[in-house]
Amino acid sequence: MRPDLLSRRLVLASLVVLGATPARAQQMDINRATTFVHRAGQDLVNAINDPRLNQTQRRDKVASILRTAIDIEGTGRFILGRYVRQASPAELQDYLKLFDEIIIRNLSARFGEYRGVKFSLGRSQQRTEEDALVSTLIERPNNPTFTLDWRVAEINGQPRVVDVIAEGTSLRLTTRSEYSAVIQRNNGRVASLLDAMRGQIAQLASREGG
Amino acid sequence: MISSLTRLLGCAALALLLLAGCATRPPADDPEALQEFRENNDPFEPANRIMFEVNEAIDKAVLQPIAEAYRDLLPKPIRSGIRNVLGNLRTPTILTGDLLQGNVTRARETLGRFIVNSTIGIGGIVDVGRRYDVLGHSEDMGQTLAVWGVGEGFYMFVPLLGPTTARDLTGFAIDVYTNPQSLIGQGQILDVWNYTRIGMTVVDTREALLEPFDMVRKTSLDPYATLRSAYRQRRSFEILNKDGPGGAVAPAGGVGFGQGVLEPQ
Repeated sequence: MRPDLLSRRLVLASLVVLGATPARAQQMDINRATTFVHRAGQDLVNAINDPRLNQTQRRDKVASILRTAIDIEGTGRFILGRYVRQASPAELQDYLKLFDEIIIRNLSARFGEYRGVKFSLGRSQQRTEEDALVSTLIERPNNPTFTLDWRVAEINGQPRVVDVIAEGTSLRLTTRSEYSAVIQRNNGRVASLLDAMRGQIAQLASREGG
Repeated sequence: MISSLTRLLGCAALALLLLAGCATRPPADDPEALQEFRENNDPFEPANRIMFEVNEAIDKAVLQPIAEAYRDLLPKPIRSGIRNVLGNLRTPTILTGDLLQGNVTRARETLGRFIVNSTIGIGGIVDVGRRYDVLGHSEDMGQTLAVWGVGEGFYMFVPLLGPTTARDLTGFAIDVYTNPQSLIGQGQILDVWNYTRIGMTVVDTREALLEPFDMVRKTSLDPYATLRSAYRQRRSFEILNKDGPGGAVAPAGGVGFGQGVLEPQ
């Protein structure tokens, strides 16, 4: 192969790679991230504390706010990690659907309990080139104040939450270890994780119904 | 007494390792799996998982019911006082950690809190320091070793103690043996005092972990793996001294379940 042809191929290959990189490589502006978290957080707090809503309505409202604020697909892929490539396209599609349901159910159930919650912005800091870390303080009646950090990235031109970090523990890192352990303990089968996730959704649903 | 108990525990641990075997190392042609294996750093995972199940059984049968009864029976101000006293009693360990890490500011806070809380706060029952915005923090020898550059070593799960690592368990042992309260001397009263203190610490810590533990059991597909990850993340947070705005009361010290011990609910 002639050298110029080789270099042209390399350029082409790198263009393909660049094109394939998701939009998250854009830099996240810290003020934009902070404004975004402030608004989404305020919406959440208003929904949680709205006395006109009953429990189901509140949960639905919280779920819809979370759906627009979180980059569920990106986070789901991050959590599945190296198994994204091992999963078949159908498995990946199933996984993302199940993940969406689990994360929304878990977070709405958790936040739904935070009646009387107040939240305020803490010190904000830029973390990496790609995303920003916005720190908030969560205050609840009769509970100690704690910090909740939101990792915000630019996803397709919109700021989106990609991780929640409570007092140093990142939800996406913990969940990644959890899911990876389930797959490994079942001979590396992604399908076994999907089964476990389906079982969990059934459990969550019966608990909410009860 | 303690040495024969340690020997017995050592033998039991060794027997368990032989029975359960070691975690299988992934093949060299799978670099991502290999990297994950190194990051987990849990070579005795099969034995650790058995220990975890043992702990779950003990916890559900004994510890959790005791912790729940403790919360139901004693009103919050009393539990709060007990937690404050236990935290105050940990001062020697915390102060040693502050000093060995060269953190004079935090050492001064620890000492100031101890003096004020032990006197005006009636033996540590009232956290007077907190009222003046001098919040408590925790330190232990495991954290000090980390600051000195000691790597965390392999992961372990010890029943009753919870998740730990080779470094943190070593630190914990040093903390126990250098605690002035175990050095003062011998005698029945002192023994009773020490056992009461240790027993109360276990109950108080478990009470603080009621909700987080429930959450992990309810939402995790693999609580063992979740705890392992949460413990490590929480420890690096503690080592960097990034205390939350609530301020740790933390009688739990060198061990924990990936969760800080704060004011009681």
